Amino acid sequence: MSEWMIELKGTTKRYGTLIANDRIDLQVPRGELLTLLGPSGCGKTTAMRCITGHQKPDEGRVLIDGQDVTDLPTHKRDLGMVFQNFALFPHMTVHENVDFPLMIRNLPHTEREQRVKDALRLVRMDELARRYPRQLSGGQQQRVGLARALVYRPRVMLLDEPLSNLDAKLREEMRFEIKELVTQLHMTAVYVTHDQGEALALSDRVAVMNAGRIQQIGTPRDIFEQPNSLFVADFIGLSDFIKARVETVEGGSAWVAVKGLRVRVETHLQLRAGQDVTLFIRPTRVELLESTAPDGDNIFPARVVKLTYLGDNIDYRVVLPGDWEIRVQTNGQQYLPAGSAIKVKLPPKHCHVIAEQAAPATPGSP
Amino acid sequence: MWNGRKILSYTFLVCLAIAIFSPFLVIFVKSIGKGWFGKLWLPPTLTLDWYKWAINVAHLPEVMKNTIIIVAMAVAMSTLIGIFSGWAFGRRHLPGKEVMMSMILLPRMIPPITYALGIARIFYGLNLINTHFGIALAHVTLCAPYAILVMSATFEGLDDRMLEAASVCGANPFRTFFHVTLPQIMPGILSSMIFTFTTSYNEFTLTLMTYGPDTLTLPIRTYLAVGEGYWEVTSAMSVIMVLPSLLILFLIQRQVKPEQLVGGFKGL
Repeated sequence: MSEWMIELKGTTKRYGTLIANDRIDLQVPRGELLTLLGPSGCGKTTAMRCITGHQKPDEGRVLIDGQDVTDLPTHKRDLGMVFQNFALFPHMTVHENVDFPLMIRNLPHTEREQRVKDALRLVRMDELARRYPRQLSGGQQQRVGLARALVYRPRVMLLDEPLSNLDAKLREEMRFEIKELVTQLHMTAVYVTHDQGEALALSDRVAVMNAGRIQQIGTPRDIFEQPNSLFVADFIGLSDFIKARVETVEGGSAWVAVKGLRVRVETHLQLRAGQDVTLFIRPTRVELLESTAPDGDNIFPARVVKLTYLGDNIDYRVVLPGDWEIRVQTNGQQYLPAGSAIKVKLPPKHCHVIAEQAAPATPGSP
Repeated sequence: MWNGRKILSYTFLVCLAIAIFSPFLVIFVKSIGKGWFGKLWLPPTLTLDWYKWAINVAHLPEVMKNTIIIVAMAVAMSTLIGIFSGWAFGRRHLPGKEVMMSMILLPRMIPPITYALGIARIFYGLNLINTHFGIALAHVTLCAPYAILVMSATFEGLDDRMLEAASVCGANPFRTFFHVTLPQIMPGILSSMIFTFTTSYNEFTLTLMTYGPDTLTLPIRTYLAVGEGYWEVTSAMSVIMVLPSLLILFLIQRQVKPEQLVGGFKGL
């Protein structure tokens, strides 16, 4: 028994001159739900298709449960898969669709009946077993897709943007359903999505992909709180980026200069004085204070220039000295009209620096 | 609720029906009537003699057998060509797809008699004149374009993900084809077969240039009977000739949903 359920060892896939996957190394331990997250064209689907066997990598090996399956055709890999467009067989009823993998495996009839029943009950579709896919809503069809993928208890479950074709509310509900099912059945799962909210809500670990490579891999919290690159910080959550220069470094923190202001940041990066970096802070982590609040580290006078009321929260644009405009999101309780003179606090532990210069087009840069 | 609009539309429909069916009605009455000449509305006596004549004197069973053999061969060949070419057109990226498509349609654009003359010339050289296979082959030139068009559209409509889903579920390519692909292209195959059947069964010009004494088909035999001057027998033959077409029409309406047939033409 291998430690890793799925392992990609330096897989590379090219389409002509385009490199869809560039030496991907990935290990998924038994029972983990890992998400491949990235914008369209980042290679996440190609990586998954290498696992399913619908694509053969040009280089590198694919291992499932310690067995090299690189040259094994899909139908011998013992996988379960859920598709974005559901991919149910339209000429079969719900029952027949779920029964299909068992029929293919030539299981005894009574066992098949029992397993189909169990799987349909698990996804709460047992009452619609006689319907055809076209008679079902999108959410119901995807439940059937899930049942078909898990009915034969595969070692590995692959989910290719399974919620993208559903409406927003259903999407949110089904996230948790999927997570619960996968956990309950102790399956190892790889989930592909471009939706960061989905990735953060579902995953044990997230692998953020860009341009054919894995940019960062870690728990949702790691990825959100400690992005290792501008790309990850920009792709996940809202951020304001600004160019900064390191002034002094002391232990776990550093002072950086931004537009004439000195900002203290907590960081584990090895920085040196004079280095150009990018500073970013999540709009939800900035604190708005009364103009009379006492001064302190990272507390600056500011003025509200614009606000957008969003119900659950308010989106402010505030200007700091040196014409530094930042975005702040607060809960809706604190209402400050445009023009108010206030103070903002940039908590040092939420100020992050990345040893990369922001591209000129990045919002917040001069 | 018989308002003016409704009366008008029913009158129109009845007139249309009469216009469409009257030639057939005349032939039908002629085939069962005796001494029906001149100004009588209906024949004075009814008889089945002409049908007996058609069967015994004009050797209709023999002719029917030829027709069935030729049609069956033409349908089988066209459908097979349609399935394989349709797969290539619908599923593969082919360079010059549009050009090839119009080439395939070319036989249908050329006047049939021109085309038939060329085929006859070639078939004489190949000793294919007066053979069932030869005539069926000639029919294929007209039937295959239909089959290819219908099957291309059918395969284009086939979802890749579905085939991938089948393979993930553990089905090898053979079982995927048998359990997933085939049931889904069946409506296409069926409509392709129906179209090639009617094309081949009714085909006259190409058969006229390639038939011989051993390979008389129904349309040719009927045409020859006209020349021999037996109107009543000819009428009986025509009526017999219509029956399989009516049967097919009946089967289509019972078995195949109209949208499945139309679905085969999506993207034409």
